[in-house]
Amino acid sequence: METGLKPIGREQWWVFLLLAPTLFGLLFGVFGSVFATLGISFFSWDLLTPPQWAGLENYLSLLSDPAFGKSLANTTLFSLTYVPGVIVVSLFVALLLNRRIRGVSIFRLIYFLPVISSAVAVGLVWSWIYARDQGILNVLLRGVGLQPVNWLSSQMALFSVVIVNVWGAIGEGMIVFLAGLQAIPRDYYEAAQVDGATAWQEFWKITLPMITPSIFFQAIISTINAFQAFEYIYILTRTTGGGSSVPTVVFTIYRTGFNYFRMGEACAQAVVLTVIIVVLTIIYFQMQRRWVVYE
Amino acid sequence: MNETRTLAETSSQNVSLHQDIRVQRVLADVLTYALLLIGSIAMVGPFIWMLSTSLKLPADQFSRTLIPNTATLENFQTLWAMLPINYLLINSFKIALITTIGQIITCGMAAFVFAVVRFRFRETLFFVLLATLMVPSQVTIVPNFILFRALGLYGTQAPLWLPAFWGGAFGTFLLRQFFRTIPLDLAEAARVDGASLWQIFLRIYLPLARPALAALAIFIFLQSWNNLLTPLIYLPADLEQTTLPVGLALLQAQFPGRWTIQMAGALVSIAPIILVFFFAQRQFIEGIALSGVKR
Amino acid sequence: MKKLLLACVVLLLLSTGISLAQDTPVEITYMMWGSPEELAVWQVIVDDFEAANPNIQVNVDVSDWDSYWSRLQTLFAGGTPPDVFAMDAPLYRDWQSRGVLLNLQPYLDANPTALDGVYPSTLEAYQLEDGIYGLPRDFQTIVLFYNKDLFDAAGLDYPNEDWTMDDLRAAAAELTVDVDGDGVTDQWGLYADLYDMELFWSSVIWSYGGEILNEDYTQTLLAEGPARDAWYFINSMAVEDRSMPDPTQVTQYGDPFAAGVAAMTTIGHWVIPEYADLPFGWDVAPMPSGPEGRATSVNSAGFVVAANTPNADAAWQFIQYAISSTGQTRLTELGFAIPVLQSVAESPVFLEQQTAPINHQVFLDALEYAHVKPSFRGYEEWAAVVGDGLLPVWNGEISIDEALDSIVPAANDVLAANQ
Repeated sequence: METGLKPIGREQWWVFLLLAPTLFGLLFGVFGSVFATLGISFFSWDLLTPPQWAGLENYLSLLSDPAFGKSLANTTLFSLTYVPGVIVVSLFVALLLNRRIRGVSIFRLIYFLPVISSAVAVGLVWSWIYARDQGILNVLLRGVGLQPVNWLSSQMALFSVVIVNVWGAIGEGMIVFLAGLQAIPRDYYEAAQVDGATAWQEFWKITLPMITPSIFFQAIISTINAFQAFEYIYILTRTTGGGSSVPTVVFTIYRTGFNYFRMGEACAQAVVLTVIIVVLTIIYFQMQRRWVVYE
Repeated sequence: MNETRTLAETSSQNVSLHQDIRVQRVLADVLTYALLLIGSIAMVGPFIWMLSTSLKLPADQFSRTLIPNTATLENFQTLWAMLPINYLLINSFKIALITTIGQIITCGMAAFVFAVVRFRFRETLFFVLLATLMVPSQVTIVPNFILFRALGLYGTQAPLWLPAFWGGAFGTFLLRQFFRTIPLDLAEAARVDGASLWQIFLRIYLPLARPALAALAIFIFLQSWNNLLTPLIYLPADLEQTTLPVGLALLQAQFPGRWTIQMAGALVSIAPIILVFFFAQRQFIEGIALSGVKR
Repeated sequence: MKKLLLACVVLLLLSTGISLAQDTPVEITYMMWGSPEELAVWQVIVDDFEAANPNIQVNVDVSDWDSYWSRLQTLFAGGTPPDVFAMDAPLYRDWQSRGVLLNLQPYLDANPTALDGVYPSTLEAYQLEDGIYGLPRDFQTIVLFYNKDLFDAAGLDYPNEDWTMDDLRAAAAELTVDVDGDGVTDQWGLYADLYDMELFWSSVIWSYGGEILNEDYTQTLLAEGPARDAWYFINSMAVEDRSMPDPTQVTQYGDPFAAGVAAMTTIGHWVIPEYADLPFGWDVAPMPSGPEGRATSVNSAGFVVAANTPNADAAWQFIQYAISSTGQTRLTELGFAIPVLQSVAESPVFLEQQTAPINHQVFLDALEYAHVKPSFRGYEEWAAVVGDGLLPVWNGEISIDEALDSIVPAANDVLAANQ
């Protein structure tokens, strides 16, 4: 049953006025953009000369373009490491903080610091920490007699960027999981203790199933973030010519569109990215039916 | 007799069990603290290292000491001489502020209508709005660029804040959830007294939703303050117009290897946010906790 | 005395300007890449020009290399291009092919002497079948810079014109050391940018008798025959000897030569004002010769005019002034560039400039064996495919053969897409 005030007379105008910006945004900002992107993706257009009909050429060239394939592979690999990384680490931190100990608020503050900090600034710091010989990380590694790592080399860079991204997202995930953990009724654990369950069993039998909704939520958010990650990649992996040693799909869209001004191709890439995100979301919701426990 | 013995036995068993549990508790607490501390070092370490490097003499940038041999503010002076930092700070602040205001107003208006007013197609429209959360922001980049270019707004700051006045699914959803917790009786009573919808929104709903508004405001402000991609597209190099993240990215490209200055720049962009963070932690954490979805 | 002279010059210029002053005043924008120091240089030239042409006001707009191009592209995309802007010769054809540059041929036809005394090799890059859409402003040849202090400390002879690539390799290996003994190399023999062709690898390929592209820019030849040998040579220095810092090491120092951690570098004249302040002695020598002789790269920066500027005449006047003897002398005095006017280049203004007491003649001599840096549509993207493709090699992650075999088809794809 619908609730709410029914607008009378002139109030209908108010309803329309209050909704006007949102309607405008929906019409032009979102749907207009989606259609425009689809439309432009069938053209070849450098913004300087008039657009030319290209049919499916932009899409076909993406298929055979090893660079786009590489960026898709990078984005996939990034997501496959980043998403579980964020979930496992921030869940672990949340579990620690969920023990009733003193100083939780201070720790919460500390773990939250990277979340509020500008990714560009933090990226700069990490590029300094990761520096090949003089970076503090390799200095420390050498100090304890280990082999230094070339963190930002072509092969390691993806992994190093994932570390920074996970590091930056722990605070966010931690909050989500803490909320989930605190919603678990205490008596579940008390009952388990009466039955003589170990802490390990409690975790697997009670905690984990009870927070599957939080995990689901966090997985979706992290996946979306992973597919859109840009700042750290830009700062940490940029090469001399403005490319990236680990180009992701978003980076490639940016470069194709705003470095090379091939708007049609950039739009085709954006369409492919959207399709992937939509498909993934649908898969997640399918998985949700099987795995997520709702009371 | 038998009974008492059993009771005594049980209680003595209980005592040793309790002691066991207590020892386990203490051990677990110690372990928890140790793990949290190690984590905290990883979280705060990069910030400390940034501060430390920014205070070192350029000649000492590769010294591996935490405390600078000679602490200096020279890097900040150089930074201010190299980049119009004041402009960048003001621009970033201005854009973030206008963006926040725009989102709060337009999302608030729409959320109020969706939460309080009954009209045809309300649920459908709201569902459509929510569905747009799935559309990745990359899809809108190119059409927006073309639109702003056609409007002659390319090269101005308008493209960075104007879309904030189009409302948005995330903010609307968030505020609607909050508005729905406010009893409808209040609105009905006000209406009996002759208040218009607009007055009800302004005098009842906005003041009562202050915590939610604050959380949303912080979230939006941070997002704008830290955004790199949009200003990079619209104001890639106009230092008097562009934002701090773009300035920092330029600093990295233009002055490679000058770590003390880069760290000073990073510090300048992070410091204001951290300062505010310490005064308004709760709202910050709530803001982010709600967050995720749109990044 | 100097001031008095200047005052006279200014007065003279002012008086010649009076006849023009009746024209309606116009304002033009000149956009270029460069450092803040270069902006100061150009401001002086512009002031001179404005004094001579009081009806024209020139706004100089300088940004660093990376942001220059993105800014320029977006200004064009936004429909508000600058009237005159600097062009890197390799990118010239790309821009010209998009129809955004003004054909300057009519102005040249009206002023047949405008290009007298300009080095023909610098004009070459701009001459197209249907006209000339840009004029060279200054040019750069690449030579070998060396740190005298580091050579002295190692007891090695300075590089000279007899050096071969093998001498370069041997000296570089000897100059690569771990100075502070912590097990990590902190001084290298040679720093050369291996991303773009201009600063090092094109010269090596040419000196090995290889080619980079075919004549009509449809095939990438940089993995064929002698070119591949050139890559093996570079690989031997960068990967086998590790006598060149790898890209991740370079970023730590910015410019390792200026930071004093690389004993040699290959670069052009534009760094001289900056290097003049370096706390060590340095000089220049010609590029070492390879099995097929000596080679280097010559590249020019030029002026181009936006096709749709309403102030084309004023733009032309400004360009003409900048490549005139007065303009070029001023430009030369300020130390960055090599003038395109032969008379100015061979005068004491260039050869005995005060910024740095080095052998400036080396830069002019280089013209004799220099190859013009290629210019074709899609250059930037092609260069990125090659540069990014080579990165893993310098980081020691894949072999040079492996890289070249994957780069060539990708680079050819770019060429095909830009035909």
